Amino acid sequence: MSTPILPSTEAHPRSPWKDAWRKLSKNRLAMFGLGIFSVMVLLCYASPLFYPHSPTFQTLSFGATPPLTMAIEVRYDPEAIEPDEIITPKEFSDLYAEKPESDVTRISSGETLDISGIIFRKSPIIHLLGTDGHGRDLLARIFQGGRISLGVGFLATFVSLLIGVLYGSISGYLGGKIDAFMMRLVDILYALPFLILVILLMVVFEGSDHQLLLIFMAIGAVEWLTMARIVRGQVVNLKSQEFIEAAKATGVRTSVIILRHLAPNILGPVIVYATLLIPAVMLLESTLSFLGLGVQPPNASWGTLIKEGAEKMMVFPSLLMIPAFFFSLTLFAMNFLGDGLRDALDVKSSKD
Amino acid sequence: MLRFILIRLGQAIPILLAIYTITFFMVRAAPGGPFSQERKVAPHILEQQMEYYGFNDPTYIQYFRTLWQHISFDFPPLTSYPGLTSKDIIQDTFPVSLELGLLAMFVSLAIGLPVGILASAKKNSLLDYAPMSFSMIGICLPTFVIGPLLALLFGVWLGWLNISGWFSWSDRILPALTLGLFYAAYIARLTRGGMLEALNMDYIRSARAKGASETTVVLVHALRGGIMPVISFFGPALAGLISGSFVVETIFQVPGLGRHFIQAALSRDHSLILSTVLFYAALIIIANMIVDIVQVMLNPKLRYG
Repeated sequence: MSTPILPSTEAHPRSPWKDAWRKLSKNRLAMFGLGIFSVMVLLCYASPLFYPHSPTFQTLSFGATPPLTMAIEVRYDPEAIEPDEIITPKEFSDLYAEKPESDVTRISSGETLDISGIIFRKSPIIHLLGTDGHGRDLLARIFQGGRISLGVGFLATFVSLLIGVLYGSISGYLGGKIDAFMMRLVDILYALPFLILVILLMVVFEGSDHQLLLIFMAIGAVEWLTMARIVRGQVVNLKSQEFIEAAKATGVRTSVIILRHLAPNILGPVIVYATLLIPAVMLLESTLSFLGLGVQPPNASWGTLIKEGAEKMMVFPSLLMIPAFFFSLTLFAMNFLGDGLRDALDVKSSKD
Repeated sequence: MLRFILIRLGQAIPILLAIYTITFFMVRAAPGGPFSQERKVAPHILEQQMEYYGFNDPTYIQYFRTLWQHISFDFPPLTSYPGLTSKDIIQDTFPVSLELGLLAMFVSLAIGLPVGILASAKKNSLLDYAPMSFSMIGICLPTFVIGPLLALLFGVWLGWLNISGWFSWSDRILPALTLGLFYAAYIARLTRGGMLEALNMDYIRSARAKGASETTVVLVHALRGGIMPVISFFGPALAGLISGSFVVETIFQVPGLGRHFIQAALSRDHSLILSTVLFYAALIIIANMIVDIVQVMLNPKLRYG
């Protein structure tokens, strides 16, 4: 027999993770999703470092202004450093009827306009996306809302991951009657409308100090079912596989079997499902906030911003459209990324 | 078949009992009572109210009394609607939610099924790609984004429809559309997947070989197998339609049961919360059972499984 035992011509064996990454990086939609998602996370969490507006600071004269609204500083004393007032261009032309709005908008920054001793100057800081109904900068609110929405998404997913993996692997590992009972329980919980349970949980914990913490605990507590099913299926499947038997027979230690042989095989589906769970959790949190049961003011999440926008949409449609755009874009990105990961890690569709 | 139904009904009883128990103690653990949110009342009146609604009895007595009241359909008076019982509220408002749910179901099937069938029959053409991309949008956009946007477009800018209320037939359009679009998108994808699988089966080749027209092959032979994923989706879909109706009823001010449930939760109306949760749970259990039965009837393989 002259056939070589190892037909491989490659110097290094390729790891399945590198393979998956190669596949993923070829999937344009998934990479687009990954890009959008990373930018969104970075913007939301790093914005306090560079974005000049505070999400809670109110400029009283700026109630619900459209995007790119500039501010005009008014100084009664030409030498003053701090402006006495900040007004909108519209207010300016209301005050000085003979001066149309275009008069101020045309002055370049740095230049001043002197009308009978009162100095007007364009403020160097503009509201990129306008302001909300209370005169707070909308983009700063969106960043703040994003921090909470994404944070709830990550943490709730982590909680459900923990419960689901533990429950699923115990059920799958023990097998037999205990497995049947544990899975029947999951079936039963599946049949319940989650939102009802979450609403009850929210009501029970309403008004407590750690409300945000409780929101993701509540969501995580109901979202682990699918994770438990996936993990259990994998464990049951793997338990009887030959390579596990072979590893046992050759005397590989149990901890090594779990870490090197079992975990990587469970990890794929778990990663895929977790990626898809984050947008699902964000959706649930926003739905609760939209119903008035989730995040409470002065905190904001994308759900509360959309709710506020929906209340004012007749007059200020941008207050609805802009947060809705940010939220939907993030959900899209996460879903595309999850689908891409599913293909890359070669996980069978769990949807149907 | 009868045995199957009886077993499922038998399983439903402990489930409902568990739900009742969990809800009962959760509601009682919640801070604030049914009378704590109203303006202050004199202590002796509060005492009278507590006595009247039976809140002074030991918890276990309340537990069994309320349980019996639900079993015998003899509901206690509500704290948030004096003089009414949960039965009155459910009777008045559930038909509205049911109508909304059925209309949404109709919307989702009327859009989802034809689109999915067409996409599978014309696989990898524009008729496949365009609707499937749209359905991704439908799945990703949450109800509470679609709802206000539809209201903005058709209610405010075009001025064709009312954006709130539940009076004329035209008031039904926007809520039903909002609730139905997500399911339409999901059903379209499920139908396409199921149909593609069915169209690859040997019996389809046989049907084609005997000279059946393409329309007959798709609509008669393939559809029966291809529609199975959609049917198994109906169980979870019903639960979703109920939860979704909380949001839609809030957006469009529809006087349905969903809004009353949220109101009951906020005002700590113990009986109304319990009755509504039990009602929803029973509804979902029955719906899941019907879905299972239909599946067994359509797929002979499951009968012996």
